[in-house]
Amino acid sequence: MVLRRKINNMSVYLDYQSSKPVDPRVVEAMTPYLSSKFGNPSSLHSLGNEATKILENARQTVAGFINAEKDEIIFTSGATESNNLGIIGFAMRNKQRGNHIIISEIEHISIHNIAKYLAKNEFDISKVPVDQYGKVSVNKIKDRLTDNTILISIGYANNEIGTIQPIAEIGNLCREKNIILHSDAVAAEGLLPIDVKKDNIDILTFSSNDIYGPKGVGVLYVRKGIRLTPLMIGGGQESGIRSGTENIPGIVGMAKAVEIMQQEMDNEIKKLRGYRDHLIKIILRKIPKSYLNGHPTERLANNAHFRFSGIEGESLLLSMNDKGISVSTGSACSSKTLEPSHTLISLGLLHEEAHGSLQFTFGRFTSQRDIDAAAEALPDVVNRLRKLSPLYHKT
Amino acid sequence: MKSTQYSEKVLDHFRNPRNVGILKGKDVAVGRVGNPVCGDLMEFYVKIKNNKIDDIKFKTFGCGSAIATASMITEMAKGKTIEEALKISRKDVADELNGLPPIKMHCSNLATDALRDAIHNFKTKQKPSLQATPEAKECREGITNAEKFLNRGVHFEADDPSLFIDKRTIVLDRGDKSIEFALTLTKYTPRVVYVTSAKDFSIKPELKRKLIQSDVKILYESRILEIMGITEVEKVRIHDLNENEKYELFVDAVVILL
Repeated sequence: MVLRRKINNMSVYLDYQSSKPVDPRVVEAMTPYLSSKFGNPSSLHSLGNEATKILENARQTVAGFINAEKDEIIFTSGATESNNLGIIGFAMRNKQRGNHIIISEIEHISIHNIAKYLAKNEFDISKVPVDQYGKVSVNKIKDRLTDNTILISIGYANNEIGTIQPIAEIGNLCREKNIILHSDAVAAEGLLPIDVKKDNIDILTFSSNDIYGPKGVGVLYVRKGIRLTPLMIGGGQESGIRSGTENIPGIVGMAKAVEIMQQEMDNEIKKLRGYRDHLIKIILRKIPKSYLNGHPTERLANNAHFRFSGIEGESLLLSMNDKGISVSTGSACSSKTLEPSHTLISLGLLHEEAHGSLQFTFGRFTSQRDIDAAAEALPDVVNRLRKLSPLYHKT
Repeated sequence: MKSTQYSEKVLDHFRNPRNVGILKGKDVAVGRVGNPVCGDLMEFYVKIKNNKIDDIKFKTFGCGSAIATASMITEMAKGKTIEEALKISRKDVADELNGLPPIKMHCSNLATDALRDAIHNFKTKQKPSLQATPEAKECREGITNAEKFLNRGVHFEADDPSLFIDKRTIVLDRGDKSIEFALTLTKYTPRVVYVTSAKDFSIKPELKRKLIQSDVKILYESRILEIMGITEVEKVRIHDLNENEKYELFVDAVVILL
């Protein structure tokens, strides 16, 4: 495949959590909808009718992937919009029922900032802590429930450390207490089978790019009977919940990405899990004072997240980049705010430890060669930076 | 500008830092600034002869620009008189590196501060200031909520390490018995933090070696101020005596031996 060759020749890309390439088969499926098949589903002529048909087919495909019904799927511009619509839209519509919302300490930054926004608008927010592996405890959620609790939002799996949450268990609690459960499933997409009925999920955020579809498309699943206040006002598309002319090429791309994922997911997960376990084993063996962040087994198949005593993540990232290997870090020095990752701090790590973290995420176009290159480069890089460090000899 | 969009000169100093290491001897002064808690730590060693900087070395725990600015300033300061070296500003260092991302200007500040600290310590014949520490004796009564969470995360006894399986446990310094218990706990949980108000241990060398080689994370010059949670321990508030900073740490259990 051309794409595979291109990525490999340029560099070793092990940062799939940040961005994924669009699968060439998806690009091919989208292309006609960027040119000849440009109809608007709101038009009544044949070109418009064709667009309606393709839109509804895509909706059916996406619904099938998470075991939802077709009319429970709303297309959006991506995961951030889905999180906004799912949480703010629900909170605004249902505030007469209560004003208390629970999220976890390790939610994606978009959820944290939405919570901050709601806190300024007369909502009470509680944050539930996680254990040392990044798992949310259902008992600690129970500690925080009040008569005013209307919504709990917990990510399906964590985007940084890859820990998988006990969503079905939280879903049961929510049903029992008549509380709505929202889950941001972006990190878990394509890496875990998601079934909104089995897990008792009421509202779910899903994005296209995370399954190798185009950026700028996302989905919000909203269980039948749940009402939201729209955040985007306009021509009443998407049952009036999300106005704006539908992004047909993007939606077609997303549906194609779903189809491919449905066929290839089982094998892909197996392959990625092999890479993950191999890299974790080698790194922990080769590098003294190296630790795995996140859960040893209940973690996403494509995620290996380490920390190394005495060194700093941005230096690690730059050094790996010099060797042609793209990775991520939870270090503050690489962030806009110079704050370390809130997820790593929530694991009980000190700032200094969070600084020394490095995240590898793999994907569809990763090869054994990429993993070998990373496993070979990293020990040298860590060793060089430790020689520079005044902290290492003490630890 | 993104933090990683550095000038070629910054990248050169990051990749090939000059004057890394330490210096020893009577005419060597040490400067140390920053703290890993807030990001960076920088140590400068200067050898001063006839009022001039004869040799200079550094070590740093920090991001790319921390390494580059430290390296740069060693080149700029070498051979200069003390007065000249004291005049080097963070802007001078940044300019010499062909600029730094604005958000990173604090890092080069740290390099100039560390150099100035070293020169100051030379003049006053002092040891680096970070090593001069206030001593504080913590007692159980001094920790807010220790009694409230007794047996709900707080333990005053070390009878049963199996209570701590997979729990992030913080052990308060109570001498040898608490160190031995912390070491035992590493067999039950991957996360053991040991808090002591001292800056170093005066214990049997054998025990000290074991502790340092273990995976126990040691917080020197720190004390626990408060235990927090709803029904069980969820986090503790810690006072870093050295930096005079207070911060929160997520834990599941606190061991305060009597």
